[in-house]
Amino acid sequence: MNAKSIRIICVGNRYVESDNVGPRVYDYLARRDMPEDVSLIDGGLAGLDLLRFVEGGRRVVFVDALHGFVPGDLPLVLDHGTTLGEWAAGYGHDGGLAYLLRMLPAVCGNGLPEIALVGAGAPVGTDVVGHLAEMALSIATGEWHERGHNPAISAA
Amino acid sequence: MSQKTILQMPVNRVEGDLDLKVEVADKYVVEAWCSGTMFRGFEQILVGRGPLDGLVITPRVCGICGTAHLTAASRALDAIAGAEVPDNGLRLRNVALMAEHIQSDVRHGFLMFTADFANSAYRKHPLYEEAVRRYEPFRGRTVIETVRETKNVLEIVALLGGQWPHSSYMVPGGVVSVPGQSDLLQCLHLLKQYRQWYETRVLGCEIGRWNDIRNASDLESWLMDKEEHRESEIGFFLRFAKKAGLDAVGKGHGNFISFGSFDLPHQTELKPGRAEDNRLVPSGFARGATVEAFDAEKIQEHVSHSWFRDLGEARHPFDGETRPYASGSEGEKYSWAKAPRYDGVPAETGPLAEAVIAGRPLFVDIVTKSGPNVLIRELARLTRPARLLEALETSIREMLTEGGDFYNPPGEIVEGVGSGLTQAARGSLGHWVKIEDKKIVHYQIITPTAWHASPRDDNGVRGVMEEALVGTLVKDDGNPVEIGHVIRSFDACLVCTVHSLHKGKSSFKMRV
Repeated sequence: MNAKSIRIICVGNRYVESDNVGPRVYDYLARRDMPEDVSLIDGGLAGLDLLRFVEGGRRVVFVDALHGFVPGDLPLVLDHGTTLGEWAAGYGHDGGLAYLLRMLPAVCGNGLPEIALVGAGAPVGTDVVGHLAEMALSIATGEWHERGHNPAISAA
Repeated sequence: MSQKTILQMPVNRVEGDLDLKVEVADKYVVEAWCSGTMFRGFEQILVGRGPLDGLVITPRVCGICGTAHLTAASRALDAIAGAEVPDNGLRLRNVALMAEHIQSDVRHGFLMFTADFANSAYRKHPLYEEAVRRYEPFRGRTVIETVRETKNVLEIVALLGGQWPHSSYMVPGGVVSVPGQSDLLQCLHLLKQYRQWYETRVLGCEIGRWNDIRNASDLESWLMDKEEHRESEIGFFLRFAKKAGLDAVGKGHGNFISFGSFDLPHQTELKPGRAEDNRLVPSGFARGATVEAFDAEKIQEHVSHSWFRDLGEARHPFDGETRPYASGSEGEKYSWAKAPRYDGVPAETGPLAEAVIAGRPLFVDIVTKSGPNVLIRELARLTRPARLLEALETSIREMLTEGGDFYNPPGEIVEGVGSGLTQAARGSLGHWVKIEDKKIVHYQIITPTAWHASPRDDNGVRGVMEEALVGTLVKDDGNPVEIGHVIRSFDACLVCTVHSLHKGKSSFKMRV
């Protein structure tokens, strides 16, 4: 479905301040040229239906509002293992990102890509949006890890 | 002396924000109050905008039935513009909406409803261990299959409409996306895969065999006929649900409503659901199984128990308003949902209502004999794809073979009044729109869940789910799984606005 093997998927609702981190990061990155193998995706509220955009990928970076991990709007990176943790309790019609992440090991066709999740507790300022965008891009291209960052859960 | 308990609980595995309060006396629910806890204000967002803006904004009302909202918004503008939608435009609209229904029915069934069969409340049920193997959240065999298979059927909407959810390819006069032959062939391929899974694993038989079942006796014979039937998801559902007594709970008022949907093209092999109504799913209102002609003028919204400004009397959606008013009547007003009524009475909608109003023999037989209940309501939902899959395939084939336009320009929309009524996956959905001087001046929406999760009306009559809950036996008020069955049999869907990741937010404690 998506020929590029690295995807940045920005998730959220741009009309709701507490949930608009992903769309704002998407808008920020959409003004830039993406590296050749990186696809930028506006994931909106698709939740479970983002599965099609994960499948076939080598590395997928989600960007979303993250609440309850660290205080305030500190940018945060959750790595592969943590991201696939058991946060979601069950499916609702809103079967959102938490549900998708928990289901991925069981349902992802063509093997599970490397997954990371970048975000901050909304509302966030413009500077944080820019920081999150650069962080997402850095993780997508591998520069993040080359620079020695490899947190399970960390304020970045 | 009777013992009374008040249980107040948020309800998960429904859409959005629903609080439920039930009064239990001697283990039976004797009173119930459903409360929508979020005000959204989509109608106000639309006022003052351009006539076409509803095509983009209203599909965002819901993340699971955006195609239905797009259909309703387009139909309202069709009516205002006097647009004639060409046959292929109708076919493409229908295909997308059918695909949305088909995925929703199965996801609701196996990800949300039957998850309760794996609840520890049923640990002594003889089929409990098998239910856990099938429906345990995240691990159950059927859960995993459902996620994989429904993903494929939604690709049909994405192929035809560019994306799903929140697509905006329908416009007054038709659709703006014209599929190529390869798109349509790909749709057929996806459909064939899905149908194969649905027949093999869900029904345990071919669709034609299932549709031959005409009454409760036939259903019993079908179940006993072959091991494939008994071991299919429908067979297992029937065996588990009967043993759990789900055919004896969740009766409700016994009224049904359908706005009708899937306008048929002029040239088609498809037959209308009722001879006098040229749609695949006919409109109608039924008291029990007695069907009356549908009259949209009989729809009114009551707000006496809703947190909206009271206008002194119930209003038709063309005359109503959505003005929040949360003070002054605490205790009496208890929900952000309004109370839609048809001819002054509450009515349930959704797959069972469609089946009864269309006169489908199996469902008419059971409703006539015993009234609605949780089992038959969910059975209607799980087997609705058996009706829609063939119509969907026919519609795609007709687009492949019949030439013709997909869009007929209606001209600029300057002013007018129109409504767009359709059936979403969960039931009757309506948009009522007024345009003046190229601006929206009035927009009212009634969703299926407004019919179901409404509070009491001006006459103090309970909403559909409230009524259906009364009389429910609650064996363990610490794990009231029976209440979950009743609520989820209506596939309640309140909102789909806010979602973000909340560490530790999701918990089953004190949730139904």
